[in-house]
Amino acid sequence: MAFAEYAWLIPIFPLIAFVVIGFLGNRLFKKWEGGAPVAILMTAISLVLALAVAFEALTTGDGTPFVQSLEWLVVQSGEFNFTFNMGIYIDNLSALMLIVVAFISTLVVIYSLGYMHEEGEKKRRYYAVISLFISVMLGLVLASNFLQMFIFWELVGLCSYLLIGFWNTRPSAASAAKKAFLVTRIGDIMFMIGLFVFFIGFQGNLDYTHIFNNVDAFVGGDALLTFGTLMIFGGAIGKSAQFPLHDWLPDAMEGPTTVSALIHAATMVKAGVYLVARSYPVMVETPDTMLFIAFIGGFTALFAATMALNNTNIKRVLAYSTVSQLGYMFLALGAGGYIYYYHADFNVGYAAGTFHLMNHAFFKALLFLSAGAVIHAAHTEDMRLMGGLSKKLKITSLVMLIGCISIAGIPPFSGFWSKDLVLEAAFEGIQYNGLFILLYAFGLITAFLTAFYMFRLWFLTFAGKPRDQHTYDHAHEAPKVMWVPLAILAVLAFGSGFAFLMGFESVLVPGLEGFVPHEASAVDLLVAVFTNILTYASILAAVLGIGLAYLVYYKGTINPAVFTATPARKAMSNVLLARYGFTKAYDWFGLKVIYGISKVVDFIDRRIIDGLINGISAGLIRAGGFLRRGQTGFVQSYAAVIVAGVSLIVILLFYVGGVI
Amino acid sequence: MFENIPILSLLILFPLLGAIAAFMLGRSPKAAKYVALVFSAIPLALVTLMLTEFSLSGGFQFVENYEWISFLGINFHLGIDGVSVTMVFLSTLLVFLAILFSWDVEERLNQYMGLMLLLEVGILGVFTALDYFVFYIFWEVVLIPMYFLIAIWGGMNRAYASIKFFIYTHVASLAMLLGIFALYFTTAPLLKADGLIPVDAIGTFDMQLIARVAGDGLGHMLQIAIFGALFFGFIVKMPVVPFHTWLPDAHVQAPTAGSVLLAGLLLKMGSYGIIRICLPTLPDAAVDFQLIMAVIGVVSIIYGAFACLAQSDLKKMVAYSSISHMGIVMLGIATLSQLGIAAAVFQMFAHGLITAVLFMVCGMFQHKAGTREIPLLGGLAPKVPILATVMMMGFMASLGLPGMVGFLAEFMVFTSTFDTWGVWVLVPIATVALTAAYYLWAMQRSIFGELTTKIDTKHMHDAYWFEILPLAVLLGFIVLFGVWPAFALDLITPSIPSVWPLNGVI
Amino acid sequence: MIPIEYFLALSGILFVIGALGVLTKKNAIVVLMSVEVMLNAANINFVAFSAFYGSLNGAIFALVSIAIAAAEVAVGLAIIMNLYKTRDTISLNKINLLRW
Repeated sequence: MAFAEYAWLIPIFPLIAFVVIGFLGNRLFKKWEGGAPVAILMTAISLVLALAVAFEALTTGDGTPFVQSLEWLVVQSGEFNFTFNMGIYIDNLSALMLIVVAFISTLVVIYSLGYMHEEGEKKRRYYAVISLFISVMLGLVLASNFLQMFIFWELVGLCSYLLIGFWNTRPSAASAAKKAFLVTRIGDIMFMIGLFVFFIGFQGNLDYTHIFNNVDAFVGGDALLTFGTLMIFGGAIGKSAQFPLHDWLPDAMEGPTTVSALIHAATMVKAGVYLVARSYPVMVETPDTMLFIAFIGGFTALFAATMALNNTNIKRVLAYSTVSQLGYMFLALGAGGYIYYYHADFNVGYAAGTFHLMNHAFFKALLFLSAGAVIHAAHTEDMRLMGGLSKKLKITSLVMLIGCISIAGIPPFSGFWSKDLVLEAAFEGIQYNGLFILLYAFGLITAFLTAFYMFRLWFLTFAGKPRDQHTYDHAHEAPKVMWVPLAILAVLAFGSGFAFLMGFESVLVPGLEGFVPHEASAVDLLVAVFTNILTYASILAAVLGIGLAYLVYYKGTINPAVFTATPARKAMSNVLLARYGFTKAYDWFGLKVIYGISKVVDFIDRRIIDGLINGISAGLIRAGGFLRRGQTGFVQSYAAVIVAGVSLIVILLFYVGGVI
Repeated sequence: MFENIPILSLLILFPLLGAIAAFMLGRSPKAAKYVALVFSAIPLALVTLMLTEFSLSGGFQFVENYEWISFLGINFHLGIDGVSVTMVFLSTLLVFLAILFSWDVEERLNQYMGLMLLLEVGILGVFTALDYFVFYIFWEVVLIPMYFLIAIWGGMNRAYASIKFFIYTHVASLAMLLGIFALYFTTAPLLKADGLIPVDAIGTFDMQLIARVAGDGLGHMLQIAIFGALFFGFIVKMPVVPFHTWLPDAHVQAPTAGSVLLAGLLLKMGSYGIIRICLPTLPDAAVDFQLIMAVIGVVSIIYGAFACLAQSDLKKMVAYSSISHMGIVMLGIATLSQLGIAAAVFQMFAHGLITAVLFMVCGMFQHKAGTREIPLLGGLAPKVPILATVMMMGFMASLGLPGMVGFLAEFMVFTSTFDTWGVWVLVPIATVALTAAYYLWAMQRSIFGELTTKIDTKHMHDAYWFEILPLAVLLGFIVLFGVWPAFALDLITPSIPSVWPLNGVI
Repeated sequence: MIPIEYFLALSGILFVIGALGVLTKKNAIVVLMSVEVMLNAANINFVAFSAFYGSLNGAIFALVSIAIAAAEVAVGLAIIMNLYKTRDTISLNKINLLRW
């Protein structure tokens, strides 16, 4: 492998950009768009290298990963020995992620030139942090062991925090950033516990190669391994915003839209999916965990989709949609892993999860960046103030339509292929566990809801008559630097699904022992897809969703007020707007429970512990005050005490001591 | 290179000379500043040179042993191993930076500088002493300058805080002294029987000699009693709940540099004492105390974290976070595994670097905003970007962000906790989220959001050079040791088996 | 030769007289004189034992003691003079500067 030898440079270039932009000062970059050229150049270089490495891995590799590592920390002393490595691990999965991350990063940084143009001096901070993010995200993808992944995992969380809070003078942004960090950190703690289990169970070595090749050598039994994998998945729940730690992602929309597109749609939130896919060789040993993953995924898909139905903030709708689509990926991975335990040559689940990961990255980045262009034009995120914008934003409306069709799952757009695979994996699971009937139903309903809310979004934004004349008058098409990346993404959102026909399934296989990839020609695959009744079920769901949205929000055949017509419907709608009360519950837990306990602790500290201490000292002082009254100041009374004392000593010596 | 140079004595001597010089420069306090800077730079340079010669064999090095009061068996015995060398490095670094950071102190400047150097004398003595008597003397030497630093340059309520600090630590060190005497007298017959000391001697205060016989020779109950006395002396200094309330008060009142040294170094003396004295000398008792140590460690971690959340004074919050983080050290020691103890030492080192940054940040808030009350602050990030950046980096380091020094230490402590107690690790590890919560919340309220109107922000000045420089150095080390922790752990780990030779993990 | 018991009895009586004087008299001068009486009681003991044992140590001690007593009287009177100057009294029940 020629290029892979240099793969370690991929995260280095953006890191250089971070250091240069971050530390060389405002003055230098004032003229240079706050350092944007540096960021673009460095990201582009790593994109080229990443593409070369990934292409090499996907075409010439024989399935064995390329590993290169450096001893980071060697502890050999007495009876404890372990080694932590820092390295790179390139297989088909990381190659896929590399392409996705490097590619979208580059487009987003270029797009930012237009989107962030008016931010003034703050731009430097933006480009510095986003370079850092790109660097650590690429590092996460390339990591060669779980500890290294965790390190980068936390660092992407830091960058997410910094970028959500980019407009930190807005209280809501500062609050959202905090929430994102804290909620994901709960997941991170679980991830950490999972690492402890692996560290102890796999004898002090967290390297992927070591763990994947010695899954059977786990010390501690199946229950502990299940606990460990569950905890690892706990990390994914936090990072990928799955139920019940999903609530930070909608709030994270307080950041710039570019950040939402890059971090909270295309890359960082995928880290959880990547983690599960990456640890597949271990995870498949624990079907209970896999079932749990599938359930959480399926449930979240439906749960988040419902909240997108009536939201009026264009970015929030997309955020819920992201959560929902991530749920799809977990559903696929979980189902695949669960089935694998019983039936070892089934690959649809793994392929579906990773395939959907890739497609979703493209179409969701497209959707977010188009939404960014809309916000850039309309200066509002509220869809109630939009409408009719397609006349002004021709390109944007077109590319966003492509994104919507793709996510809705209309053939041959990319979303169709992967969603179909996801549902197939879930359906396949029914043979092994009845729970999958429910999960398949969740998936299908989600497909319908997704189509509905995405087209609702499109119609509300672009179609019909302008609802706010002022907004409409000031709207203008995005500059070239913004729509060119959109156009590129639109092509991919349309076309990335064809990777399926080119044998995605047989290339992206989990590194499992004795696994035989399922090879098939494009024609066979097409025939298999379109002779399957399930395919038509999912297409039907999508068409119904689009149709409903068309009737309600375009034709006006059905008045949207129907959804809130009765008190019950109104209440339901309010529940959705209140996010099922999760926001309140989080706040209640933080403010009332945690802060309440801390107040109690503070009380104990001030009143009880310090009260005791101060009480003792006050008691001593009082005792001293009492005793000092004996000091009358009259010399003769002192002398009397002396005489009395001496007499007493003499008497004691005489009677008790017998001295005299 | 240092074969014939008594480098450890020189290390202690230079600050002492500097302190005397500074005290005598009452006429020209400005000069005292430079004198102090030079005399604190010399030990730092010496330690850096020494590190180049330091061997990773694990034993004591640069040992000096002079007879002092020979009929009592007291020797001026100094030496360092991997555990102490990290602390010695930290001490010289922090004192130097703290002196630099105090560049704008004006009140009784020469005495201030003299006390700082005197403090360094005591701290370096504690971390290098291999003789109980010498150890105890230096231990007490530390107390006095810190008392005066709080009592003279402190805040409004300084008298209360300084006396509280003094009484707490003094009572604790008396308990420790009792333990030392008990060791001295009870081991004397054993040492004589083994021919390690002359038959006509009263006893010896030598740590290594005592450690050689105490573990096997002393009765079980006696070991527990002595361990208890020494342990009490050390945990009050650390401090752990419920003997911690002197710390927030002392910090709130102490001047910034005093807080830096108090949290960065003085607290480490307690945990260092446990690792250097309690564990190797009385291993059987340590096993009996394991659960107690674990419980007070965990309670400190949780209690400290919750207390942080309730504070409105930034500095008090940081003070409570020290309690929480020293609880992690305690937990690492309590695992009684080599991994845990190595991690505890690393955590001590990490906390020393990080907490110094945090207290400097608090000091700067006091200086620039005139208050440390979080509710009065707000939205200051655009006003003082450097301070805000440093604050964020310090807070991130303290909440255990990877890539910074605190992460791996915490990670290793929790790993070995998991190895020892299994899923009970959930209890202490949950506070990792709590730690993030109080730091992020404090940042949200002090530097983010809308600009405060409760204080005058018009004339706020961002950090000065003498503030940026120490902070940059500290943050540099924080990142350096975070990115490449082997620099520190390679020094520490070879010495751990001599501290705790029994069961290890893995 | 007079038996030593007589001397001891004399010195004992003198000492008690002196001690009672110190405890009961209010005039500082009288108290000072009483202290001198007690001192002389001790001196008598020194001299008596010196003669009894035939050693000069006691006699020398008595001489030293007399010299010191002289110095003490000087200091004591000076203190009383100063007291009188500043507070217009030497009555001990009016002087309680050592009070809490």
